[in-house]
Amino acid sequence: MSGVRGRNASAWLLPAGPGVHEQLRRNMRRYADDDEVDIVIVGCGAGGATLLQRLARAGWRAVALDAGPFWDPENDWVSDEAGSHHLYWTEPRVIAGTDPVPLGSNNSGRGVGGSMVHYAGYTPRFHPSDFCTCSTDGVGADWPLDYADLRPFYQDLEAELPVAGEYWPWGEPHGYPHRPHPVSGNGELFLRGARACGITAKVGPVAIANGRFGNRPHCIYRGFCLQGCKVNAKASPLITHVPDALAHGAEIRAESMAARIGYDGHTGRATGVEYLRGGLRHFQRARMVAVAGYSIETPRLLLNSASQRFPDGMCNDFDLVGRYLMVQGAPQTAGRFDAEVRMWKAPPPEVSTEDFYETDPAKPYKRGYSIQCVSPLPITWAEHVAAQGHWGADLRRYMSDYVHWACLGALCEFLPLAENRVTLAEETDRHGLPVARFSYSQCGNDRQLMSAARDVMERILAAAGAAEVITINRYAHLVGGARMAAGERSGVVDGNCRAFAVPNLLITDGSVLPTQGSANPALTIMALAARTAAGLIRGARTGLVPTAKES
Amino acid sequence: MNTLPLEPADGGGRFPGFSTLAQARHWDPATAAVVMARLGRPPDIRFFTPAEEAVARALFDQLLDQHEEPRVPVVNLVDARLAEAETDGWHYEDMPRDSAAWKASLAALDQEARSRWDRGFARLGPVWQVRVLQEIQDLHHQSWRGFPADRLWSLWIRYACTAFYSHPWAWDEIGFAGPAYPRGYKNLGLDRLEPFEVRDVSPGADPARGGAG
Repeated sequence: MSGVRGRNASAWLLPAGPGVHEQLRRNMRRYADDDEVDIVIVGCGAGGATLLQRLARAGWRAVALDAGPFWDPENDWVSDEAGSHHLYWTEPRVIAGTDPVPLGSNNSGRGVGGSMVHYAGYTPRFHPSDFCTCSTDGVGADWPLDYADLRPFYQDLEAELPVAGEYWPWGEPHGYPHRPHPVSGNGELFLRGARACGITAKVGPVAIANGRFGNRPHCIYRGFCLQGCKVNAKASPLITHVPDALAHGAEIRAESMAARIGYDGHTGRATGVEYLRGGLRHFQRARMVAVAGYSIETPRLLLNSASQRFPDGMCNDFDLVGRYLMVQGAPQTAGRFDAEVRMWKAPPPEVSTEDFYETDPAKPYKRGYSIQCVSPLPITWAEHVAAQGHWGADLRRYMSDYVHWACLGALCEFLPLAENRVTLAEETDRHGLPVARFSYSQCGNDRQLMSAARDVMERILAAAGAAEVITINRYAHLVGGARMAAGERSGVVDGNCRAFAVPNLLITDGSVLPTQGSANPALTIMALAARTAAGLIRGARTGLVPTAKES
Repeated sequence: MNTLPLEPADGGGRFPGFSTLAQARHWDPATAAVVMARLGRPPDIRFFTPAEEAVARALFDQLLDQHEEPRVPVVNLVDARLAEAETDGWHYEDMPRDSAAWKASLAALDQEARSRWDRGFARLGPVWQVRVLQEIQDLHHQSWRGFPADRLWSLWIRYACTAFYSHPWAWDEIGFAGPAYPRGYKNLGLDRLEPFEVRDVSPGADPARGGAG
C-alpha cells in the first residue's frame, strides 16, 4: 500500500484504533479573512474534502468552510438511531411537485465528511454507458467527458478509501484492492435468492477496509454504518482525506455557513466567500472559489449570490442553476423468513447486483436499476412497516417479528428533467437567507423502473424462501442541479467543473452530474473532484488560463 | 427491568428474559449517555399546551397500542423534540412546518371529536378514538380538515415510531440488541446468535399469516 501512502497518508496520520488526529487539528494552519488564499471551498464532504486534500498536497493555500461541526466520532457519534439526528442537514426546506422528496435524513449531510459520514458505504463505479445515455438510449444527457477520463481517478480512490469487494463483472469489469467482507444473514439470503433466479449477485463494493489499513482498525460488524462509523473502519472524507489535507497546510473552518459568493463586476471573477460564523459575517478572500455544498445547497448558494451582472443568481444566465436535479427511486422490499435473519448485525452494505443496470431492449423503459442489501434499524424498519398502513396493536405485532425479516433496496435511474429543480422559497432560515424549495415530479420511465425493480426484489426474496414480501417506495441520493455540459446553454460548468460564466469558480460536488446511473454517487463525486484537482495542479491555478479542450 | 405489557397474541413475550440494558456495561460512554437519558424521568412537557398534551397522549396511546403502565413516555419524547426544534427541517409545500402542523392537527383532532360527540378527543372511548383515526388514515390523498390526510398521518406515525423504537423497552420486545460499540458482533449469518441474544420462542408467528404461532 506504499503507493497509496505516497499520495494520501490519511490512514497513517490517524491514531491507531478509533479516535481523531488531535495534534493535526490543534496545529492546523489558520488563515485570516484578509489573506487572499489560493482557493476557498464551500463544503467539506465527498467533493470538497477530496479537492482540498489534492490541492493542499500540491502546495495550494486552501481553506474549506463547512456549515456543520468538525466531528469527533468517539464523542459526537453514538451507536444509536434516534441519537444520530445531528448528522443530517435539518435546516428548513420546502418540498413540492407531484412526487415531493423528503430531505433531511439519508440524502443530506452536515459537518466535515459530509453525507459520507452516514452513507451506507457502497462505492460502485458508474458504467461507461452512463456518460452517453442521450446518444445511446435517447434519454438523459451526454457528459462532456467519458468513462476513460474518470478511470484512473476511480482506481486511485478505490485504493485510498479503500474498497472491498469481489471481482466486479459489470460496467467495465474490474477488481477491488480489498477482499470481500463476510456476509450476514441478510446478505446470505440475497445471494441464495439471486442464485435461484439466475441473477448474478456479488459481495461489495463497500468502502470498509477488510483488514487493517494504515492505523485504521478492522470493521467490528456492529451494523451502525448509517450512524457514523466510530471505529474509523468505514471510509468518509473525515478520515480518508482530511488528515492528509491538514498535514499539508489546509485549513478547515467548521460551523461556517456560506451566505454568498463574492463577485467583482469589473474583472468578472469571484473574489471569495461571505460566510456566517458565531453570529458574525465574515468574508474570506480567495483567488478561486469552489462550491461543494451538494445538490440543494449549491444551487441555493448560487441563487442567493445574485448581483448586477447575475440578476437571477450567479452563473444563471440560461436558467440552468438548480435544474435537472435527480433522486434515485429506491423501493425497499422486505421478506419474512422463519429463520432468524437479524439483519441489523453487520454493515448494511453487503451484496449488490447490477444485472439490470443497462437498457434492456426487450423492456418498454430505458436505463435500469441496481439492487443492494439494506438493513434498516428499528426506527427505519418501523417506518417501513407503518408505510404499509399498520398502526396500533397491528404495528406492535409486526415489529415483534423484526428478527425474521430480510431487506433489499433498489436504486432506479430516474431521468434528469428540467422541472425537477431548486428555487428560492419565500421562507428564510435563522440567518435570514431564503431557503431552498425543491420540486420533484416523476416521469413515466421513472415509474416503470420502480415497478420493475420491485418485481425483481420480490422474486429474489421469494426464491430465497420468504413466506411474505412487502415493498415500500422511497428515494435515495441527490445529484444534479448545476450540471456539467459541453456548452453554457446546456450546463452550468464544463467537464473540468469550471463555471462557464465565472472563470475562477468551480463546482465540485454531486450537483454537476448530468445523469446518475443506478450507482451510489459518492465514488464518482470524489473521482470528479480528484480529476478537477489534477487539472488545476497541472497549471490552471490562476483561473485565468482557459481550460484544456476536451478531447 | 421493565417489560412493556403486550399480550402474546399481539407479539408479547417472544424473547423471554432478553434485556438490552443488561448489556449496558459494554456500551461506549457517549452512546450510554444518550440511551440512559431515555430511561430517567421523562422531560417535563414544554411545547404542548395542556389541551394539546391531552390529545397527543390519547393519539400516541392508540398509534402505539399503549394502554397501561409501564409505557414508553412517547408524549414527553415528542414534546422534547418539538421544543428543541429537532425536526428533519423539510416540510411539504401544502403543510406548515412540523411544530405548527402538530399544534394545528391536535386542535383539529379535538374539534373533530367535539363536533361529533360533544367531548374532546382525549375523553372519547377507545373505540371512538380508533374510529376517528381509521377514518383519517382511510382518506389517503384526500383532505381532512385542511390537511392532506396521508401526509398528516405520516407526520404522526413517524414521530410516534421514532420515539417508541428509540427506547430500550421496545428493543427488548422485538429482540433488538441495541448499541453495539465497541464490542460489535461476531456471529453473523442466519440463525446465528451472540451469547447474549435470545432466540424467538414463536418463530412461526408471522403477522402476515395471522398472528401468534
